[in-house]
Amino acid sequence: MSDIPAIEVRGLRRVFDVRQGLFAKPRQVVAVDDVSFSVPAGSVLGIVGESGCGKTTLARMILGLLPPSSGDVLIDGQRLGDLDRRARARLIQPVFQDPFSSLNPRRRVRDIVAMPLVAQGNIAGDEVKRRVGEALERVGLSAEQGSRYPSQLSGGQRQRVAIARALVLRPRIVVCDEPTSALDVSVQAQILNLLAELRKDLGLTYLFISHNLAVVEHVASEVAVMYLGRIVERNESEALFAHPQHPYTRALLDSVLTPEPGLGVPDVGLGDTMPDPANIPPGCRFHPRCPLAFERCSHETPKLTPNEAGFVECLLAEE
Amino acid sequence: MSALLDVRNLRVTFGGTAAVRGASLTVEKGETHCLVGESGCGKSVTALALMGLLARGGKREADALSFAGQDIRNLGERDMSRLRGDRMAMIVQEPMTSLNPADTVGSQLTEVLRRHRGASRAQAVDRAAELLGRVGITAPGLRLGQYPHQLSGGLRQRVMIAMALMCDPELLIADEPTTALDVTVQAQILRLLAELQAEFGLGILLITHDLGVVARIADRVSVMYAGEVVESAPTAELFAAPQHPYTRGLLTCVPVPGKVKRGEPLGSIPGVVPRIPPGFVGCSFRDRCAYAHAACKHDIPRQHAGPDHEALCTLPPGWTDRAAA
Amino acid sequence: MSVTVVPGTGAARRLLRNIGFVVGATIVGVTLIVAILAPWITPYDPFAVDLVHRLVPPSFMEDGTPANFLGTDQLGRDYLSRLIYGARISMIIGIATVITSGIIGTTLGILGGFYGGRMDDVVMFLITARLSIPVVLVALAVAGLLGSSFILVILVLGLLLWDRFAVVARSTTMQIRTLDYVSAAWCAGSSQASVLLREILPNIATHLAVVATLEMALAILLEAALSFLGLGVPAPLPSWGLMIAEAKEYMFFTPWVILVPGIALFVLVLGVNLLGDALRDLLGTDLNR
Ligand SMILES: Nc1ncnc2c1ncn2[C@@H]1O[C@H](COP(=O)(O)OP(=O)(O)OP(=O)(O)O)[C@@H](O)[C@H]1O
Ligand SMILES: Nc1ncnc2c1ncn2[C@@H]1O[C@H](COP(=O)(O)OP(=O)(O)OP(=O)(O)O)[C@@H](O)[C@H]1O
Ligand SMILES: [Mg+2]
Ligand SMILES: [Mg+2]
Repeated sequence: MSDIPAIEVRGLRRVFDVRQGLFAKPRQVVAVDDVSFSVPAGSVLGIVGESGCGKTTLARMILGLLPPSSGDVLIDGQRLGDLDRRARARLIQPVFQDPFSSLNPRRRVRDIVAMPLVAQGNIAGDEVKRRVGEALERVGLSAEQGSRYPSQLSGGQRQRVAIARALVLRPRIVVCDEPTSALDVSVQAQILNLLAELRKDLGLTYLFISHNLAVVEHVASEVAVMYLGRIVERNESEALFAHPQHPYTRALLDSVLTPEPGLGVPDVGLGDTMPDPANIPPGCRFHPRCPLAFERCSHETPKLTPNEAGFVECLLAEE
Repeated sequence: MSALLDVRNLRVTFGGTAAVRGASLTVEKGETHCLVGESGCGKSVTALALMGLLARGGKREADALSFAGQDIRNLGERDMSRLRGDRMAMIVQEPMTSLNPADTVGSQLTEVLRRHRGASRAQAVDRAAELLGRVGITAPGLRLGQYPHQLSGGLRQRVMIAMALMCDPELLIADEPTTALDVTVQAQILRLLAELQAEFGLGILLITHDLGVVARIADRVSVMYAGEVVESAPTAELFAAPQHPYTRGLLTCVPVPGKVKRGEPLGSIPGVVPRIPPGFVGCSFRDRCAYAHAACKHDIPRQHAGPDHEALCTLPPGWTDRAAA
Repeated sequence: MSVTVVPGTGAARRLLRNIGFVVGATIVGVTLIVAILAPWITPYDPFAVDLVHRLVPPSFMEDGTPANFLGTDQLGRDYLSRLIYGARISMIIGIATVITSGIIGTTLGILGGFYGGRMDDVVMFLITARLSIPVVLVALAVAGLLGSSFILVILVLGLLLWDRFAVVARSTTMQIRTLDYVSAAWCAGSSQASVLLREILPNIATHLAVVATLEMALAILLEAALSFLGLGVPAPLPSWGLMIAEAKEYMFFTPWVILVPGIALFVLVLGVNLLGDALRDLLGTDLNR
């Protein structure tokens, strides 16, 4: 395997203008704020974080669906902007969260799966047919199901279709944006096992976004924790789950609901005030909710402190 | 007193195919009843049928279907839509497609209250802002003016939850309401629902596939398979002594931190939910069941494994203890 | 569009809608077939004047002759033949107008909805501008300047009736543009043209079909109105509007001369509208399922 990282992201930032009324001044929502990381080829980077913290925005920028406000995305060593759409499609493919809106309701499953091949423009009809059949079989769908419309499939089956579509071109990288969070446990297990198997067989690199920590722990080799547009902690999967350093990571881990009846829903002391991306607190952006916050946190921006394989961004860790 | 929601032997067919083949469940005032089961087993169809929202071509039949003592089987569309969103609310499974993309979140939220309660615009906006705050959305003013596509998946789902709660419903049918939420927000929403339950005696029928959620908040669990409720029990009992092999299979599919090694496949139930042809007799799980035997091809008895614990299986109640011994 | 959730109950209403569909489709279908087959099924030449047999009543009325089923007009032309040719004119006008205005409106709407920003501002401006032009006045002016002709009616209506297509195409495109399947198509390396044609267009087509029926009914009515005013199809072409205009002098003595084309117009427009309503109801849900 080469040393060039499959994905490299440098200083990525994305700001949205949100218009409130016709005449009000637009407010700026900083969805992703100066994020840098790289994903070595063949590994799985899990990204976890609160809903609305910018995970999807980050994924969309890496997929080239959304231009960054500033910063660079390099796919396999090449700048995303320099790749033409066909070359990009051969390198990186998405699997989206919502299996209901990610398939065109007016097209048959096999046409949906064939789309990336057809878009290449130079693949013969027979070849397209053969590879679509292969891809469907690979994800466990029958040929009969290939001639159905998405509305005639269940959520898990639709997600298999989305995976088949992502894999027909045999890309190097798959960006999975919460691929299993709309699925039930047994299908989730099947899809996760399928993704793991495909990764082993095809040597894929995954960017795996999920808010299900148990799932991320299961699939990811490294994990990045996002909070309000920034990565606040990054580490090897085992290390991060064994001894989380950032107070937010700890709160996340404590909020996981394990299937043990009678324990109730834990209150991890984050309070009920959710962060407002249009109004980011000064100092450490987590300090208003942090159970361990002290005086310096409200005005001093923490620096990155290296750990085993990544870093943590917290004043406590600096000491 | 009768239950808030009482469903007996609900059947739903689409054309020739049966999507629900006999689901019975009750939701008491202040109770949380969880419905779990594999994708495509008919959970959403059950919920939609209860709300009278089946897609075109869906036919609903039931031996009993009552809400707060009122038989709603033959209620007209006008009366049903007066109940819906008001006394019985539903959070549907697809937050993107159920919000109108061409309208702001605020006007969709206030619509509900203004239609059912004739509230003034200002009142409705206040209520909407309050609820958005309670489901953990800061800067409600900003969010009210946004369009659904400008929100993240989790925000959209919270908007849906707020919308369902606008009129203080008595029954909330929530179809996978926290799937797009991260764990901390999920915990917050679940605590909110518990509060509402304590305050107003809200009855909840919660459809979820997160067994963690089920374990922590359900009073009662029904497991559905291929359109049937195959097991129903109080939560603790279901987790401690699952009777149906399918329930046992489900419990092994959950990745539990520390229990399943990374890179190793998760336990999963082999095969897929079968298509059930008309006139099918016997256990629908038998082709995927490790314990299947000849009797599974005939009518399956509904067995009692406890005072409040039923399972649709030929295996004798308590077989798991004996298997373990 | 929000999910148009269709209730499981209310079967009677659904049936009624289907009856609307059946009735509408039958009316439009029969008119279309009659219009196409006009030269072969008309008993007489619709232009053949026969001053001896003027204003002969229909055969089922007193004094009627079996030779002219619907009688003859003030110049002795066979009324049934003229009615059939009139259907031809109405259908041609309706269809041609819908095609022209549909292409203009859909293109503008999709462009505005898809690209947003400046492009959308331009499209919105065009729509507003168009809405402030009164169709009948423009037709009047054009007819006054250029004289009336069949092609001119089609052009005027086609160039003026695209606004609803544009509005609907724009808003539906905007909604669909943000859905994941469109994102997936971009990631698959599809070209803009293929995203527009394969992902977006098929998903707004049903909405456009509904608009098309509404516009067709409107075009047919407008043509009749313009012809009635002498600004549309020129005589001696047998437009229904023109037939009504020519008949109005005789309507007190021979009311059937005005009733026959009047009823034909009413039934056709009703049929097209029924079809549109039924289409909307039948396709509305599928769009989101
Ligand atoms: N098109 C847009 N216009 C304005 N704001 C946007 C837009 N897209 C996203 N945002 C904002 O950016 C922030 C991050 O959104 P994003 O979808 O990336 O969150 P997320 O981490 O994926 O959340 P979730 O887990 O809920 O999917 C949110 O505050 C959201 O409101
Ligand atoms: N409109 C419809 N027409 C025909 N069949 C349908 C329709 N809606 C649902 N079905 C079928 O009914 C069955 C049950 O579907 P349902 O959506 O209730 O599953 P579910 O348990 O909610 O699954 P998931 O966990 O994926 O949401 C499926 O086999 C599905 O194909
Ligand atoms: Mg997201
Ligand atoms: Mg469902």
